[in-house]
Amino acid sequence: MNKNKYLLMVSSIGVFLLLAAAAVSENFMKDWHSIQGNAKTTEGPIDLRLRQIVNPSLKVTDRCVTCHVGMASGEQITTDQKVGAAHKPVVHSPTEIGCTTCHGGQGQATEKDDAHGNVHFWTEPMLPAKYAYASCGTCHTPLNVPNLPTLDNARKTFERLDCYACHRLDGRGGTLRPGGNVTGMEGPDLSHVGLKGYNAEWYAAHLQKSRQATDPAWKTSFREVAEADRSALKIFLDTQMGAPKLIEAKAQFNSVGCAGCHTVGSFGGDAGVNLSLSGYKDPNQLNFTKVPGDHTLTNWVVQHFRSPASTVAGSQMPALGLSDNQIDLLTLYTLSLRRRTLPDVYLPKDRVRAMRFGEREFAKDGETIFTAVCSSCHAADGRGTRFPGLVPNPSITNPEFLQLASDDFLFQTIRNGRPGRPMLAWGDRVNGFKEDELRAVIAYIRNLGGNIQAQPDAKPQLWATGDAALGATLFASNCSGCHGKNGVGADGPALSNKMFLSSVSDTFLVGTITRGRSGTVMQGFGFPSPIRRALAPAEVESIVVYLRSLKVK
Amino acid sequence: MKAEGYSALHEFWINLRGIPNHVYRAMFRGGPPKTDRTRSSFIFGNVFLHLHSVRTHLWSLRWSTTMGLGIMTTAAFLITLVTGILLMFYYKPYPDVAYQSIKDIHFIVPTGRFMRNIHRWAANVMVVAVILHMARAFYTASYRKPREFNWFIGWGLLVTTLGLSFTGYLLPWDQLAYWAITIGANIAQSPREITDALGITAWADIGGLQREILLGSDKVGEEALIRFYLLHVMILPLALVMLMAVHFWRIRKDGGLAKPGNADEMVAEEAKEFYPVFTDAPTKTYHLAAVVKGKTPAVGSGPEHTVPSMPHLFYAELGVLMLTTLICVALAFVSDAPLKELANPLVPENPAKAPWYFLGLQEIVSFSAFMGGIGIPMLCVIGLGLIPFLDREKEGTGEWFGGPGGWKLVKWSVVVGFAGSIGVEAFAIHFGWLREAFPDIPQLFITFINPGTVLTAIYAAYSIWAVRKYNSTRAGALALFTCFLCGFIVLTVIGTYFRGPNWDFFWSPSDWGGH
Repeated sequence: MNKNKYLLMVSSIGVFLLLAAAAVSENFMKDWHSIQGNAKTTEGPIDLRLRQIVNPSLKVTDRCVTCHVGMASGEQITTDQKVGAAHKPVVHSPTEIGCTTCHGGQGQATEKDDAHGNVHFWTEPMLPAKYAYASCGTCHTPLNVPNLPTLDNARKTFERLDCYACHRLDGRGGTLRPGGNVTGMEGPDLSHVGLKGYNAEWYAAHLQKSRQATDPAWKTSFREVAEADRSALKIFLDTQMGAPKLIEAKAQFNSVGCAGCHTVGSFGGDAGVNLSLSGYKDPNQLNFTKVPGDHTLTNWVVQHFRSPASTVAGSQMPALGLSDNQIDLLTLYTLSLRRRTLPDVYLPKDRVRAMRFGEREFAKDGETIFTAVCSSCHAADGRGTRFPGLVPNPSITNPEFLQLASDDFLFQTIRNGRPGRPMLAWGDRVNGFKEDELRAVIAYIRNLGGNIQAQPDAKPQLWATGDAALGATLFASNCSGCHGKNGVGADGPALSNKMFLSSVSDTFLVGTITRGRSGTVMQGFGFPSPIRRALAPAEVESIVVYLRSLKVK
Repeated sequence: MKAEGYSALHEFWINLRGIPNHVYRAMFRGGPPKTDRTRSSFIFGNVFLHLHSVRTHLWSLRWSTTMGLGIMTTAAFLITLVTGILLMFYYKPYPDVAYQSIKDIHFIVPTGRFMRNIHRWAANVMVVAVILHMARAFYTASYRKPREFNWFIGWGLLVTTLGLSFTGYLLPWDQLAYWAITIGANIAQSPREITDALGITAWADIGGLQREILLGSDKVGEEALIRFYLLHVMILPLALVMLMAVHFWRIRKDGGLAKPGNADEMVAEEAKEFYPVFTDAPTKTYHLAAVVKGKTPAVGSGPEHTVPSMPHLFYAELGVLMLTTLICVALAFVSDAPLKELANPLVPENPAKAPWYFLGLQEIVSFSAFMGGIGIPMLCVIGLGLIPFLDREKEGTGEWFGGPGGWKLVKWSVVVGFAGSIGVEAFAIHFGWLREAFPDIPQLFITFINPGTVLTAIYAAYSIWAVRKYNSTRAGALALFTCFLCGFIVLTVIGTYFRGPNWDFFWSPSDWGGH
């Protein structure tokens, strides 16, 4: 019938046209065809074909080099610098480890938006250019990173002592020759000595060489270096891995006490989430209602630091009042927390040392430990903090406290914590503090408080006598308002806490109740006040006896 | 004995030159189909084509008779078959690797993206067409005797088509696939609702067994994927092809498509356009004596209003086939097949939705797992299968909306179907259900009294009313089938567009919040 013949003809023509259009557009008119078509080498145009970097053990199949032709090995493009630009010299060869390992994005794609990963349903968009070094964290775990003031000081020491004169580091230096001698005087490039290691006796070797050398440059350019400066230089060199911005970011992380609540790698607190993979968060699962700008992980992280509750419903993290520069550094560090599992052959030594041997990612001096772990709750000056909606954190540099608290009491407190309260058992937990670290941080805390040592106490731990019932009554009317009913803790610390009572001495308790803590809400109950009478020493001892009786419960 | 004057070498040369002609004539022994006899032998001499009958009634060739839906379904199947085989060259059926292979097909394989799009669209066209074709066959009462078995085969084809679509859904191994199949497997587990309520799950765990057979494991993983792959590319296509062969064969054996009694008069005008029915009168006499029993239209009436299937039926079939191809290719041109993130068992989709043709079912499952997953679907499936055996009347065969009740009853059934389903849904969404008022009510209560069963009861009551009013089982079938279609549409639409996270009701996806 004619109707069907017409239907057949029209449909067939339509199908043929569509198929032909598809064949042409899919095989000749993709973006990469025209991009490669514009590229020429000195010997003429390049081969038009798909190009990729494949590394099965890293699960990498990166077709970025289909458009970024110059970055694949062997191609020397002379026209079109966008296509032809070779990769900047970097430590790890892109042709071996691929592109997405460092830059993120969708390696298998051959269209621009898909490849850059800024599409729905791709969980790892490319890192912004300014945060490129965050991806070092994919494989590496910088160890022994100090806090920011210490790092700054260390860097400035290196500059001040003009090590750059003979040593190259991150592309600077090693070019000036005292005396104008340009032959063979350079010291080794120090850019990666944090990873590759360096001679621990370098100072002695330098001194010896400068004394014995005939070269005038050696004689004049090297002088004695003070002990403090040498320690600073050691800190500086131990962190050199060719990613200064990342180290600075990690130092910032170690300066605001994030590890007090958050675990990264094998160490940290548990009040907050484990951050080891926060650089891999899927942007499609995040809440962007209060985030300005594009819906990228970077923008979300920045907004999160400004105001955590605006990005995570029900977040207990307080707004920390960070400056823009601090947020910028912390964002870079957060993006670097993308510690994926790697095949053994690609595991760097620092990752092995951190994950398998539990080496510290932050430096082990008292100041860094304090700023990295304690300062978020106890404040940078140790005076304690009070965040809305959370239990207040006490002052630990208060002079009365430090006088009464023995080193042993501090040691036990930090090691065992306060079970049931925010203070964690920092010695007991996984990869917790060792004895030397505990001693170092205790020394720093005393220093921070004004170098206050504990008063010697000849009495035994338990010496107070009195009537527990009287103590209970007194406690109920004087103390329980802040310390909670039966001393369970409210705004004030938990006095019935098992760990507290087993490590504290009666001298401490009597002294604290009597003298109070200047500058805090804790009054000296031994002294009169307008709103209550002073407590007699016997009454204070009764309260202490009552507190001791709480431990059994 | 060779003739005088020819050498064997000369004969060889003549044979060589004659190859094209001889090969052609060896393959096509009947000769070009220019006479009715050759047109006939063209068909019955070919293993593929002889599924067709040699002559076709003009009524069957009208667009309004069938709308070409059956051929459209077949065309969609052939398109999925061809594009599917092409995809099989690159697809790898192992978790994670599967996803990568789909990405490669999309980005690297020349026209891979296009082929995958065609495959996805053709699969959707196939499901839509098979449902519409079933509706057509029902409304034209084409299941009546002697075609009951063919209806049965068609019903089997419907189930196989849905199975093919469902098994294919898992293969990309993305979030959409993984969680949709998780939902499907958990629906398979829904007999547990009953066995748990009765406390017998420990020794009669039918639900768990069904789920484990489906997945080959206790969770959706590599076992499920290879199982679904095998079903999708081999077992179900083979089953489908065999059922299709029987389905087409049966059309011929049942005397062509069902026609109304007055079909001959209806096509009398068109018939006049044709050349004489027979181009050449038989020159031989045939001694053929066969007494054939039965009342099928093919017996007892002459072939006056039939035309040779070659070329008329074939033009119709090819026309529909090309039109379907055009639709699929055009859709594939403008709309990409979806691919979400790599399947992640730790991050459930919320809401996790089954493929669209199961969303109506998922909607009822949200009220009661057993009734929605097993009870009501079984009822529908069995009911559909048994239609030809419950309605054995004769009136109206081959006519659209034929039989007692007719178009008027169907119109009212549409109203009842929509009103019933929308009403029950609106009530359940706005007021909640029994648990809102009686929090401690036993689950078994809800299993038997929930929006799904209430809706089924409403439809059943209405169709019983129709049976009594029109004194006809056909009327009841018309009422019930129409209600079923309308309910299916309403539930599928609600499940697709108005259900958001936690299966809560939302007027628009922008209200979902969170993302």
